[in-house]
This record gives sequence, C-alpha cells and structure tokens, in this order.
Amino acid sequence: MNDIITTRDLRKSFRTRGGTIEAVRGVSIDVGQGEIFGFLGPNGAGKTTTLLMLTTLLPIDSGTATVAGFDVGRQPQQVRTRTGYVSQLGGADELATGRENLLLQGRLYGASKEQVMPRASALAGLLDLAEFADRRVITYSGGQRRRLDIALGLVHEPAVLFLDEPTTGLDPQSRANLWDHIRRLSDGGTTVFLTTHYLEEADALCDRLMIMDHGLIVAEGTPRELKQQVAGDAIVISLRQAAQDAPRAEPVVRREPYVRELSARDGQLRLYVDDGGTALPRLIRLLDDEGIGIRSIAMSEPTLDDVFLRQTGRSLREGGPDGDSGEQPAHPDHSQPEQQELAR
Amino acid sequence: MKVLRDMALLFQRHLVELLRNPVWLVVGFSTPILYLALFTPLLKQLAGLPGNAVLDEFLPGILSLLAFSTGVSAGFGTIFELKGGVIERLRVTPASRFAILTGPIVASMLMMFVFDAVVVAVGVGFGFTVHWGGLLLLAVFLGILMVITSAFSVAIALLTKEISGFAAVVNGINLPVLLLAGVLIPMSLGPAWLRVLAHFNPLYYLVQSARVLAGGTLTGTAVWQAAAVLMPLCALTLGWATSVVRRAVS
Repeated sequence: MNDIITTRDLRKSFRTRGGTIEAVRGVSIDVGQGEIFGFLGPNGAGKTTTLLMLTTLLPIDSGTATVAGFDVGRQPQQVRTRTGYVSQLGGADELATGRENLLLQGRLYGASKEQVMPRASALAGLLDLAEFADRRVITYSGGQRRRLDIALGLVHEPAVLFLDEPTTGLDPQSRANLWDHIRRLSDGGTTVFLTTHYLEEADALCDRLMIMDHGLIVAEGTPRELKQQVAGDAIVISLRQAAQDAPRAEPVVRREPYVRELSARDGQLRLYVDDGGTALPRLIRLLDDEGIGIRSIAMSEPTLDDVFLRQTGRSLREGGPDGDSGEQPAHPDHSQPEQQELAR
Repeated sequence: MKVLRDMALLFQRHLVELLRNPVWLVVGFSTPILYLALFTPLLKQLAGLPGNAVLDEFLPGILSLLAFSTGVSAGFGTIFELKGGVIERLRVTPASRFAILTGPIVASMLMMFVFDAVVVAVGVGFGFTVHWGGLLLLAVFLGILMVITSAFSVAIALLTKEISGFAAVVNGINLPVLLLAGVLIPMSLGPAWLRVLAHFNPLYYLVQSARVLAGGTLTGTAVWQAAAVLMPLCALTLGWATSVVRRAVS
C-alpha cells in the first residue's frame, strides 16, 4: 500500500501568556491511499493542530510531513491543490447559495466556470444536496450544511480529504447518514483523514486510527487490533449506595488476583478480567459477603474507551474540562462550549 | 495574473454579500446623510459662514470620515468570517493571500464610492460647489486611505481573533485619529501642540488635501503632502496585512 500521508516527529508549540504549550509533541503517521484514517482523542489533544499543519494552514515547528507526494513545508501550493480540508466551523458563505459556494471554491482552485459547473452538480448529487443547491445556505439544516462543507472540500477532486470533527453537533440520524457518505468517498479512492472524539465514530468508520492525548500518539492500529490490546473482558459494577460503598468496594475488588485493572468513578467500578464468565459470579459473591449492594453488573467486550483508559488512565467519555487541560490557542473549541457538552 | 483573477473572484464574492445584506445598505446610505443633515447647521453657527462656504469646508471632511470609518470597520466582518471558518476555507485553497486580503477591500471601496456620490449629490442640493478634477483626484486619495485602514483593520482582527479585543483596539484608535484630523472641528481651533501632534496622523493629511481638492486646486502643498504620506503607508500596510493573512488561523 502506498502511503499518501507521512509525517515524522511533527511538533508544534504555542506561546501564550501562561507560558509555552506543546500542542503536538512528536507525531509520526503513515496513512495509506484510500484509507479512512481516524484521529481519536479528547478536546485539546492536538488533533486539530496536527490537521492544520498537514493542510499548510499552520507552520510546522519541527519534523517533516509529506502529503500526496509533496513536502508540506516547502511545497504548500502543490499540497493545497491535492488536499481538501473541512474545518469544524464549515466556512460556507451564508448569503450565497450552495451552488454559488461550490462554483467559487472550485474557481479558487484554478478551474474555469465551465469546468466547475458539472463538478458542482455531480457533488450536489453525491452528497444529496441537489434539491436545495440553489437556496441560500442560511436556510440549510445542520446536516445539510455539513454535507455542503464536505462538498466544498471535494470540489477540486483532492486525493486526500481532511475532516475535522465532521459530525460534531449533528443528530444521530444525520451522523449515520454522513458516515455513509464518507464511506462512499473512500470507496471512490479518496483518502479520508478525520478527527473525532466520538468513540462510536472511530470504531464504525475508520479503517485505522491513532489515539492522541496531550500532543502524543498513545496507541495506533485498526479498531479491532486496539481493542484486542485490552485483553479479556470489561466488567462494570454499579453500587446501590455508591457514596458510602464505593470506597469500601474498591480495595476489596482490587485484591482479587484475576482483576487486571480497576478504576472507580461516580460510584461505578470498571475492571478488566481475563475471563468474564468465571469472574462474574465470584465478584457477585465477594461483594455480597461484604454486604455491599449491587445495583447492576454488566460485562462487555472492550471498547475504544477501554483502550484510551488503559493508555492514559482517563476515560475519553469524561471529555470536557479534564480533557481540555492541553487546549491550544489554534483550537476553536474555546468559542463553542456546546461542542464540549456534546462530547460527553 | 493569477493574483488579479483571484482578486476578481473574491471581489465578486464580497460585493454579492454586501448587496444581499439590506441592513448594511440602509445604514451605509443613511449615516453620511445624517452627518450632513445634523452637522451642517451646527457648523454654520460655529463658523458664522454663509451656507455654501460651510458645506465646501465640511463635505470633504465627511468624505474623508467615510473613507476612514469604512476601512476601520472592515475587521468586524473579518472576525465574523474567522468565527465561521470562512478565512480557513479560503486559506486552504491555493488562492493568492494578497487577493484574499484585497479582493473584499476593493468591493467595499466600490460601495463607498457609491455612497460618496450620494453625499456629493445631496451636498449639491444644499449649495456645495463641484470641481470635477479635484473630486476625481480626491476619490483616489479616499480610496488609498480606505485601503490603508481596511488592511490595518483586517490584520488587527486576524491577530486579536475576538470581537472584544478587536473593538478595544479600534475604539482606542478611532477617537484620537478623528479628533486630530480636524474632520468635524478644524484643527486651527486647537493649541500649537495639538497641531504638531496632528502631523503624525495620516487622516489629517487626507482631510487637508480634501478641502483643497474639493475647492478645485490640484497642485497645492497639501495635495503633495497627502500623496507623499498616504502612498508609502498604503504599501507598508498592505505588505504587513498580507503577511498576517498568510499566518492567520482561528
């Protein structure tokens, strides 16, 4: 497989009033042609900053990056004509129609009006925009706008499409619909590089992914490989009287030899065992002997969140304030608190 | 020639956006007319001049003020575009960075000239004397000043990124620049140190030359001085603002 994106030890830091923030601390990536490659991590992990560097929007501090055969630092124009980028913010002109937006964007990439027109119509068809392509963007729904944003990123037929949190803020139905569109793009040969903080999205959509935290890659592989790293089964125990029993239950459970890892949060114990089938009855008996009431107990195959938890000691679902500690200035999330809310 | 092509595309984009925004059009037309209607009677009292002479003094100042404020307010749109991802959408294309900066400025300039024409037409109704040659050269100067303030404003917007920070900078600059330009109140009323200070204000030179040009004199000292100050300043500001556009991220 040919690699269409290659980076080695990519770094970026920002100077702020509070000191220097190392947003990206040595990221090496290889993405093959036609892959859907995902960048999973909490807000402020450095995902957007990496994307901005790969799309030539942000200068690289150190390290190298090659996209579609060209050096990002030295040949930005060549990289620009071969890549599309859809930011979290979209960026369509609201007072113009969808078609006008597409025509302008295509022409800014150097095509003539005659060349762009059929392309715009084809994209409108591909992304189910045709019906309202001649209405002003301000009248579009969230899902419709998102599809137009993606069409804008595709108007010059790029080899690589970068999507920054493409489904943030969309309702579940629009999200599933967008996933279908992204899969179809990939089937057509376009390499898709996306960031997300949705576990389900990374799991369902990506051929391969990297988990990023505080500017570093903490895990890499296919969703299946990553989940296999977390050997065994995950068991989640909810306690009836969480506040008083959790501190008691934690050391008791931790002492059991078959418990590999354990985290306690919000009155829930989350633990990993080699064999859930034998561990489950023993745990129930153990807690019963201690007089600790169980509200519910569930066993599951490991999720990507378990992978993240194992690598970083934190749950990705905690999202919000905790994950935000490494926020970098170039990240637009500052102005969009509702996005962090949705990330939970 | 790619630069010109990109400029034309972005000029067109911005012009369409301006024309589709009715609130902006109404305000754009009414503000200069209000200035004329409200300030002219005041100045008549102050200067004790007959009606025509007041307008001959005051109308060039109004045009200068319009050029200044049109330019300075350009950054508000930039902040809006930055928040909406428009700047990144444009910067990710191979479009010329100079064109991304100047295309919209030229569109706003065209609109400004339309407003200027309305102000002059209304002024003529109240006794303003038109000298065509002078007004045409004045239009060039107004355009240059508008480019300087627009480019400055856009760059400040891209650097501050937030409406609050941007507004603070712009408001902080507005008052001293307007006061020291003698647009509304003639500088000759002020003490010597104020008049010295005024010579560090580019708008002052425009206002001085505007009065001379509107009076029909094309070669006065004020005209040369304005050209000598405004043209290099325009080149400098454009160069700086283009480099800011090159680096801008939201």
